[in-house]
Amino acid sequence: MSFLNKLGIGVGAGAGAAHGAPRAMGSSGRPRTNGPVPVAAVGAARAPEPHEANRISNGLKEFLWNLDGLGRGTLLDLGPAWQTTLSFFIERGFRVSSEDILRAWKDFLVEEEGKLREATGRAAQHTLDVSPAARAMRFLEANLQYPNSSFDAILLWDLLDYLEPLVAKQMVANLTELLRPGGVVFAMFHSKKPEGFQRYRVVDPTTLQVISSPVLCPAQRVYQNREIQDLFSRYRTVKSFVGRDQLRESLFIK
Amino acid sequence: MWKKEDIKSQGLPENSPGNPTAVPVLVGNAPRETGTGLPASSKGSASISQGIRIKGEVTGSEDLFVDGQVDGKVNLSNGCLTVGPNGEVKADIFAREVIVRGRVDGKIVGREKIQLWSTGNVAGDLQTERLTIEDGAVLRGRVEIETGKPVDKHTEARGAAAGTSKGGPVSVSSGSAAD
Repeated sequence: MSFLNKLGIGVGAGAGAAHGAPRAMGSSGRPRTNGPVPVAAVGAARAPEPHEANRISNGLKEFLWNLDGLGRGTLLDLGPAWQTTLSFFIERGFRVSSEDILRAWKDFLVEEEGKLREATGRAAQHTLDVSPAARAMRFLEANLQYPNSSFDAILLWDLLDYLEPLVAKQMVANLTELLRPGGVVFAMFHSKKPEGFQRYRVVDPTTLQVISSPVLCPAQRVYQNREIQDLFSRYRTVKSFVGRDQLRESLFIK
Repeated sequence: MWKKEDIKSQGLPENSPGNPTAVPVLVGNAPRETGTGLPASSKGSASISQGIRIKGEVTGSEDLFVDGQVDGKVNLSNGCLTVGPNGEVKADIFAREVIVRGRVDGKIVGREKIQLWSTGNVAGDLQTERLTIEDGAVLRGRVEIETGKPVDKHTEARGAAAGTSKGGPVSVSSGSAAD
């Protein structure tokens, strides 16, 4: 078992003995699946067949409402570069920047593990500070490098659940700097530890496609409402939508 | 035609000791079939094969297939650049069309079209009229869709060849709000 896995943050450590992903539900509570119910991603060893399901997203609807009339806005998408999502916003006049933070986090952890192994080989552990704070700083120095007030909107998805708490906290602080006053963040939080690993893409103004994917990073923690408010304490408005699929959608307006 | 002479005229070093470029540029037909069984290029084009590394500026007007390494700048005014699955380009790219199946670190300007295949990995801004991103492609950068032409939205079905599922490549030209 690798050092990072021992710490519980290693790449490929399963998010738990998960069997059966949550059904994608609409706000009405009825299943809104498009095809078979997604099967959970159970650890990296068993890559699931990609399954897709649609879920009604009041958060997305509200997010778009807040951006209505913005004209040529700027959007930062921190999920994978999906054609549908990029096209959706580009068609609406947005200039879109894309950066898959979870993939970057996974790559970063692999790189850190390599460095650590190298340092251990040279009996010089002290050369690499492996404390969470130092790791958070190293990760954020290499990612999200944009000028302040660059974006009108940020799609954060559910990635905070998968980052180390210190990285998540510092990242939210950095994102706040990148957002213009009045800018909007769309984030999602799992109400309980996610059983699978899912990515999301925009289908239409009220629908997200939920795609079960191989686990990139194990979930790190479940945020309670109070903790979410603390994370986004610099935002003037917070709006949340709770779904029956254990997913809370939140909008934060700076 | 993209020729060896073009490289010479750009002042690229040739076989200089200690220089990794050592430019034994292969100018010939690009491999028509690749590991995935997909055509690398629609027509015979110059190629920089795997194992070859070029440092400097590559200029031409026809198609080029890069499966090796290029550091510097690539300027194919009227050509199509294909970065193969083994290709690594650390350069700003200017071309009529750019297809990325390997790694690109730099800005890409594809005047007519940019395609990121599922194995493609781009760290840099994209500027084009039409963009196609296959599921699995990695992009870290800004997307600028040129607005010079009228809005023309259409869907491409390359899924059969690329083996993509629903939600796969969709090509969109966009100028203003479509809704």
